[in-house]
Amino acid sequence: MLGQLFVRECRQTARSLIFWLIVLILIFDFTTQLGEMEIGEEPQPGQESYGYRQSKDPDIIMRSTLGQLTEEYVRENYTTYPIGFYKSVTLNEKDDARIGEILEETAGIAGRESAKQIIEEWYAARNEPGLAGELLKIEPADGLTYEQFTDLMDEADKILGGGSNYGKEYREKNAQVPKTYEEAVKEYDALLEKDRLTGGYARLFCDYMVIFLGILPVFLAVTRGLRDRRSMMQELIYTRKCSSLTVIVSRYLAMIVMLTLPVLILSLNPLLKCMSYAGKAGIAADMLAFVKYTFGWLLPTIMVVSALGMLLTELTDTAAAVLVQGAWWFIAVFSGADSLRGGMYGWSLTPRHNTELNWQGFHDGFAQLAANRLLYTAAALLLVVLTVFIYSQKRKGRLHIRGKILADRKNKS
Amino acid sequence: MERYWQIEKINLKYHIPLHVLVSVLLLLISPFLIGVANLGAQDTAKALEMYVALIGIVLLPPVFLPEQNRDIRDLIYTKYLNGPVIYLVRILGNILLMAVLLGLYIGMLAYNGCEFPAGKYFCGALTEMLFLGGLGVFFYGLCDNLVIGYMAPIVYYIAAIGGGEKYMKMFYPFSMVRGSYGEKVWLAFGAVVLVSGGVWLRCRRKRRKFK
Repeated sequence: MLGQLFVRECRQTARSLIFWLIVLILIFDFTTQLGEMEIGEEPQPGQESYGYRQSKDPDIIMRSTLGQLTEEYVRENYTTYPIGFYKSVTLNEKDDARIGEILEETAGIAGRESAKQIIEEWYAARNEPGLAGELLKIEPADGLTYEQFTDLMDEADKILGGGSNYGKEYREKNAQVPKTYEEAVKEYDALLEKDRLTGGYARLFCDYMVIFLGILPVFLAVTRGLRDRRSMMQELIYTRKCSSLTVIVSRYLAMIVMLTLPVLILSLNPLLKCMSYAGKAGIAADMLAFVKYTFGWLLPTIMVVSALGMLLTELTDTAAAVLVQGAWWFIAVFSGADSLRGGMYGWSLTPRHNTELNWQGFHDGFAQLAANRLLYTAAALLLVVLTVFIYSQKRKGRLHIRGKILADRKNKS
Repeated sequence: MERYWQIEKINLKYHIPLHVLVSVLLLLISPFLIGVANLGAQDTAKALEMYVALIGIVLLPPVFLPEQNRDIRDLIYTKYLNGPVIYLVRILGNILLMAVLLGLYIGMLAYNGCEFPAGKYFCGALTEMLFLGGLGVFFYGLCDNLVIGYMAPIVYYIAAIGGGEKYMKMFYPFSMVRGSYGEKVWLAFGAVVLVSGGVWLRCRRKRRKFK
């Protein structure tokens, strides 16, 4: 019975307008972001820049953080991420004066005019060859210990409402140092040897696709949920012999399969590019990397978004799930804006890794990512169980929030 | 006039309260998510264009929702008053609600020490709201499906965030951030076309059905 219903649901989905709109949007996302994807070449000696990496050296952390503080103090505007969401902070006079004092205590820069002069000199120097793209670094004041520095930066972070560049979490991120040629080669070698080329590009593919897959499944789930009601078949289906578990699970599986299929088909394009490059360069590429990453990285997002859509639609008989999922997507995507390079996946619905490189970051953050994906898979299954429960209650005549009895009561009152 | 007020009264009483509540909630939680005090013109534009304008998606597309049920739609279309008139009254009412909410929010920003040209920003943000909502109305009218009505503006918004300036050109919704208002004229024109088109499509379905 489950198999029959599953096939029927897949057929219905394939005939629905919303499914093909989703496919079109995924194709648009893919072509605009990855359509012109080219396999990166090996770094060559003497290149102008090899990119940046994070340093854990306290001296570099202090210099970089003070550079940021000086810049933001001059700009009179601070960037913060209080709950992971971008927020621009402008201070009142009292707090601004205290930040000035902190800058003086930590960097020995007295007043905005002195800070402005340093910035102007820095920008003038940046035009010189070899310094382009480098970030401002300021020497700490004489005798400043790392402990004093962290205490004062914590205070600055508190004044700014938390989540600033001076809080514990973000201080290390400030310490960006240019990569050397050797480091760039090492990272490229990791792409070829550890990732076998396709692994890195599969992560990049997932990074772009997860943005849209963090919301699109809800449209399919809500449409499917409302279809019975719209065609006035709800009560008829309720009376069928088939169990609630079979009805809901067959719908859910069909949705998941039909949403995963176009993603897998789209992944063939970058896979073929990678295989062609690997063939010429003599690299033993992993042919199944895109499949593995699609199932490991994207499927949990598809699962939980679809399950939430199904649950809320079944519960409310409205399109409220779209608004709820829209809000969740908004927070997830904007909170991930500061961790694009990967390695810091946290509990985001849409984990980001916007580079084919940084295998080390992926490796270091793998346990976190695996926990994240398992959590969303478990949450999705729980939501499906709840949907089955609600559906079975409705079949018994309960939980009809928008039922005729309620409408009748409203009219009488 | 009395009958139009009756339509709006019913809209305010039964159809739109939940959507207004969602919009008000969105605006009330904004201080926890984005900066709303002491902002410069650019940051204020960002808050209005990237956050506040989203209430256009919440408030405008559901104007056809009360007649989603075909039985009710058939009944409504047998009445003396034209379908398009009912929709236009609702649309104007919802636009007025959006303008009031936006005006209050802009007042709050100004009170909190944000420095920006209030009149220009009000018009710019309202235009974007109308365009986002208009997209919803158009696609709802075209496909007779509220979910697609929500999907179209949301996808447009996501595409605009993901480097859409390159593809959207004069229909790029976040132009005030870089101090440009020319796009808003196009968006206003687009909003009028989309809303009118959406209502026409909805009513065209009716006429075909009753032939």
